[in-house]
Amino acid sequence: MLTDLLQLPLRDGIVYDELSADGAAPRPHWKAFVDALQQMPAAELANRWARAERRIHENGVTYNMYGAPEGANRPWRTDLLPLLIDGCEWGSIETGLIQYSRLFELILQDLYGPQKLLTGRLLPPELVFANPAFLRPIAGRQAAQHSFLHLIALDLARSPNGQWWVVAHRTQAPSGAGYALENRMIVADALPELFSSTHVERLDGFFREQRQALANLARRDDAHIVLLTPGPLNETYFEHAYLARYLGITLVEGSDLTVRDRFVYMKTVEGLKRVDVILRRVDDSFCDPLELRADSLLGVSGLVDAALAGNVKLANALGSGLIETAGVLPFLPDLCRHLLQQDLQLPSVATWWCGQDKERGWVIEHLNDLVVKPAFPARMTHMEPAFGAELSSSERAQLVAQLNSHPFDFVAQESVALSKAPVWDRGHIYTRGLMLRAFVMNTGSGWQVLPGGLVRVAAAEDGNVVSIQRGGHSKDAWIVSSMSREQPGITLSTDQALELRRSGRDLPSRAADNLFWLGRYIERAENITRLLRTSLSRVRRADRAELHCLARLHRCFGTSHSTLPEVGQPDAVALENEFVSLMTDQNRSESLQSVLDEVRRVGGNVRERLSADMTRLIGQLSEAIAVEEYMLFAERTALLSGCLELLSAFSGMERENLTRGTGWLFLSLGRRLERAFYTVRYLQEIRKPLNPEDWPLLEQLLEVADSSITYRLRYYTSLHAIAVLDLLMLDESNPRSLDFQLSHLADLYRKLPRTLEDDARAIESALARMRSIDLGRIESASVEGCEAQEARLSQILDEIKHLLPSCSDNLSRTYFSHVRTWPISIGE
Amino acid sequence: MIYQVSHKTIYRYRSPVSFGNHVACLSPRSLPHHACEWSELQIDPPPSNRHERIDYFGNRLTLFSISDPHSELKVEARSRVNVDSEFRKWGDASASWEETAASVPSDRSRSGLDAYQFAFESPRIRLNESFARYARLSFRTGRPFGEALLDLTARMHQEFRFDGNATNVRTTPDDVFRLKRGVCQDFAHVQIACLRSIGLPARYVSGYLRTYSAAGGAQLAGGDVSHAWVATYCANAGWLEVDPTNNIVPSEGHVTLAWGRDYGDISPLRGIILGGGREHSLEVRVHLQPAA
Repeated sequence: MLTDLLQLPLRDGIVYDELSADGAAPRPHWKAFVDALQQMPAAELANRWARAERRIHENGVTYNMYGAPEGANRPWRTDLLPLLIDGCEWGSIETGLIQYSRLFELILQDLYGPQKLLTGRLLPPELVFANPAFLRPIAGRQAAQHSFLHLIALDLARSPNGQWWVVAHRTQAPSGAGYALENRMIVADALPELFSSTHVERLDGFFREQRQALANLARRDDAHIVLLTPGPLNETYFEHAYLARYLGITLVEGSDLTVRDRFVYMKTVEGLKRVDVILRRVDDSFCDPLELRADSLLGVSGLVDAALAGNVKLANALGSGLIETAGVLPFLPDLCRHLLQQDLQLPSVATWWCGQDKERGWVIEHLNDLVVKPAFPARMTHMEPAFGAELSSSERAQLVAQLNSHPFDFVAQESVALSKAPVWDRGHIYTRGLMLRAFVMNTGSGWQVLPGGLVRVAAAEDGNVVSIQRGGHSKDAWIVSSMSREQPGITLSTDQALELRRSGRDLPSRAADNLFWLGRYIERAENITRLLRTSLSRVRRADRAELHCLARLHRCFGTSHSTLPEVGQPDAVALENEFVSLMTDQNRSESLQSVLDEVRRVGGNVRERLSADMTRLIGQLSEAIAVEEYMLFAERTALLSGCLELLSAFSGMERENLTRGTGWLFLSLGRRLERAFYTVRYLQEIRKPLNPEDWPLLEQLLEVADSSITYRLRYYTSLHAIAVLDLLMLDESNPRSLDFQLSHLADLYRKLPRTLEDDARAIESALARMRSIDLGRIESASVEGCEAQEARLSQILDEIKHLLPSCSDNLSRTYFSHVRTWPISIGE
Repeated sequence: MIYQVSHKTIYRYRSPVSFGNHVACLSPRSLPHHACEWSELQIDPPPSNRHERIDYFGNRLTLFSISDPHSELKVEARSRVNVDSEFRKWGDASASWEETAASVPSDRSRSGLDAYQFAFESPRIRLNESFARYARLSFRTGRPFGEALLDLTARMHQEFRFDGNATNVRTTPDDVFRLKRGVCQDFAHVQIACLRSIGLPARYVSGYLRTYSAAGGAQLAGGDVSHAWVATYCANAGWLEVDPTNNIVPSEGHVTLAWGRDYGDISPLRGIILGGGREHSLEVRVHLQPAA
C-alpha cells in the first residue's frame, strides 16, 4: 500500500489547504515531494519512522511540561511530514520578517533612550510604564550595547485567503530554533531521498552565522561565549544543551558565573575565567538578583552593572523583553511608516490593546469573536487566553470587569482560522491546523532569516491553539527553492589566520561535578549489575553452602535497607526476592534502576559535553532493565547481560573517544574511586576467615570482578584465597585490582589543575604499604609472622576504606562546592 | 537650615561571608533649595571595587563588592545638606483634583511623562478597589487637590497606629491597610496605593527627619532611623509632599535622600552575599544634627 496524501478525509475549503489548492492535485512546490513519497511503500515509511522515534527517545530530545502527569522530560514529538513552503513566497515573507526585526530594534532603542515615540504620541506611555518588562536600570544607558536584539522569533499563521499574518513575537530569549534544527536532522535522516530531490534550503549556514555574530559582539578576539540556561528543569533545557553543543559554546547556569570588579567570570576547576558574551535563555527580570528580581536564583548578581560597563554583551540585551507585549502590534503600521518610511509588508493579526477607551469598548462589544490575552504575561503568568465565544455568562462578566479595572493589562485578538497540512501518525494521515515560528538574527551588519522554522501543530482536529506546552507537536519546515543551492558543509576560511588549539574551553565547576558523579554512578551501575548477574544466575540452583556464600556476597551491595531477615540464614526465595528488589525497586536508592536513573540525571546535566552516541547509550541504559510484571526468571539475567554490554560500550567510548582533557579527568576520578570502593568490599569478604565451604564465594567474586579467565589461566581450577587476593588486590596488570585503581588515582591526582597534595600523598602511601604485604606468608599458616601480616592486611584495607570517601569529599569541597552555595539577598 | 547627617548600617553574619555585591542608596540628592554640600561613604571591610551611578530616578547609588571573607559589614554615610525654606513650598493646588488628574495621562511633555510613570502599580504596590474607596472619602467630587491631599494624610494619621513590631520589610500595603498599624515605610506605601488607585501619580521619598522642631514642638516619629514619606503630582503645582506618619507637610525638617516608585527602588543598602549562614542581624543608627 502506498501513502496517498491526497486522499485526505477533510477538505472543507473553509481553511487554507497547504498541500493542495483544489483537493485533487498538489500545489507545485509539493509535487516532487508527493511523487517521491508515493513511491515508498507504507510499511517502509512506518519502519523508518519507528527508527526515527527511537532515535528521538534515545537522544533524549525532550520538552519539559510544567505540571503535566509525565512531568519533566516529555519526549519531543515531531511529524514525519514536513511543511513545504514555496521559495518565492518565502522570499517575500523574509522581507517582512526583517522589517519587523528592524522595527523592534528601533523601538527598543527609542524607549530605552529619548522616548520620542512617547512624546510624539506614536505609542501610548502605558505600554512602557505599566509594563513590568521595562527595566529601569537599563533606561538611558543603552549606549554600552550596540544593539538590543540578536535573535527574535515571530509566530506566523496563514488565513483562508492564503495570507500569512504575524500572531505573536518573542524578543528576549526566543526558544525553538534548536528544536527546528533537531527536527531537520530527524526528518532529513528519515527521508533522505525526498530531502535531496526536493531542493530544500539548508539550516546550518544560519547557525554558523549566529556563532560568528556572537563572537563579533565581544570586545576582544578569541571571545569566550556561554549559553546561560535556567537549568535542567526548564521546559526547553534540551534545546539549551543542544544549541550549546552545536554552536561550540559553554552551557552554564547562573551559579556558574560570578561578577568581580564589573567583569563576568565563569567558575572553572582551574579558577575564574572571563566571559565576554552571554547568549541567554533566562528572562530579563531574573538575570540579576542585585538590581532586578531579588528572589531570582537563576541570575548572576552584578550582571546588570557589568553589562552597563560594557564588559559583557548579552544576546538579547537586558531589557529586550519590553516590546514582547502584543500591545505594540496595533501601532506597528504607523511606527513602520514613521521609523522606516515604509509600509508594513507582513500584516499582524488584528489586535486591540484595551488601554484605549474606544478600543476597549469595541472589544467588550465583540467579545464573542475575539481572544483576550494578557498584555504583559510576566505579570499574569497564570492567565490562559480566553476565547470570548467559549465563556459562560458569569465568566464573561468577570472578564469585562477585569478589562475595565485593569485596562492596560489586556489585549484582544481576532483568531485566525489556521491553515491545515497533512500529519502522518503511525500510518494514518489526517490534517491539522498549524503555525510557523520563524527566526531572525542580527548578524551585526544586517538581518538573516532562518530558512525554515518550527512548525507547531494543533492537538485537536478543529483546534486553533498550537502549544507544545499544551500537548501539541511539531513539524519541520522545508523551504523549497526552484533550483538546488550548493552550500558548503564546513566553512573554508581563507582570510583569517588560524590559531591551533589543543584544549577545549575551560570546564565549569558544575560540569566537573556532574562528570565526576557520572563516572561514579556508571561504575556503581557496573558493579551492581555484575553482583546481580552472579547472584541471580546462581540463586535457584544453589546448594546450602552456595546460598550461604550468596548471603555473604550480598554484603558487597552495601545496602542498609535489606529485605532479608535480620537473623538466621536466608533461604533461596528470600535471597532471590532481595536480589530482584536490588535490581528494580526504585524506592531503594541503592537499586540498579535508581543508580541508572542517576546516570541519566547527571548525564543529562552535562549532555552538551558528551557525544551524541554517549547520550544515546545513557538513554538506552536507563531503560535497559525495565521489566514487565510477569517476566521469566531467566530473562532477568539476560537483561543484566544486555545492561553490561551497554556499560561496556560506554566505557569503550570513554576510553577511546574522549580527549584526555579536564572533563575526562573528573569522569575518570569518579570511576576509579568508585571501583576502588567496591574492590575493597570484595577484598574484605575474602579476608574474613574462609572455611572450605566458603570457597564458592571466591569463585563468585572472581566472576563479579571479571577476573575468572585470568585466574583459570594462572591456577587452573584450584581455588586459593591468597591467589584470589593477589589477583584482585596486588596484581597491577589487572584493571580490576585495587593496586590498579590506586596507582591510576595517584596519576590522576597529579594532573589536577590545583593539586590536592595531601590526598595524593595519602593514596600513594596506602599503595606502597599495601604492596609491602607479603601474601606468601599469610598462605602458609606455619610461617612465623603470618598473623602480623594478616593484621597488616586488615589494617590497610580498613584505612583505604576510610580514605576513599574523604578523598571524594575533598574533591567536592575543592572543585565543586562554590557552585553549590546559593546566594542570599539582604537588605531588600 | 544646614544638617550633618550620619547614617550607620551594620550587618553581622552568623558565619563568614566569602563574597558580596552591594548597592547603597545613601547619598542625598542635590535639588533646588536642597544642596548636598558634601557626602561620603565609609565601607568596612574595604571593598575590592566601588563606583557610583546615577539611577533612573536621578538618585545617587554606590555599587561595591567585598571579596575578603568577613563576618561584619559596616557602612557609614555622612553628609552635609543645606535645606532652605523655599524647598517643598507648594504651588497653587486649589484646582479641583479631578481636573488636574485628568490632564496627566494626555500630557506627553517630558515632565508630564516623568510624572505619569508614577501613576502605575510597582513591584511592592499593587492597586485595588479598597484603596480607591478609602482615597475617595477625601478626594470628593470637585474638591481642591491640596485640601483633599491634606485630608487623606490627616485621616491616615488618625486611623493608623505607629507600631514598630506589627510589620516587617516584606509586609504588603494590603496587609498594612487591614492591620492599620505599621511604620513610616508602610504608611507611605498605603498612601501611594490610595493615590495611584484614583489615577494620581505618587512616589516614595526616603530621607531623614529632624526629631523636634526648632521652636521646641512635639517629638516626631521616625527620627532614629531613616524616614519615608510621599510626594504626589498636581498638574499646576508640581510635586506636593506629605508625611502621613506625622500628618505634616515636609519642610525644612525633612532631608531628602532619594525617591522611587516604592521602597524596593531605593532600599538604602542591599546586597547579594555568598555564605553568611542562615541568619544575620542588622543595626541601623541615624543622627541628624543642625550644623554649627
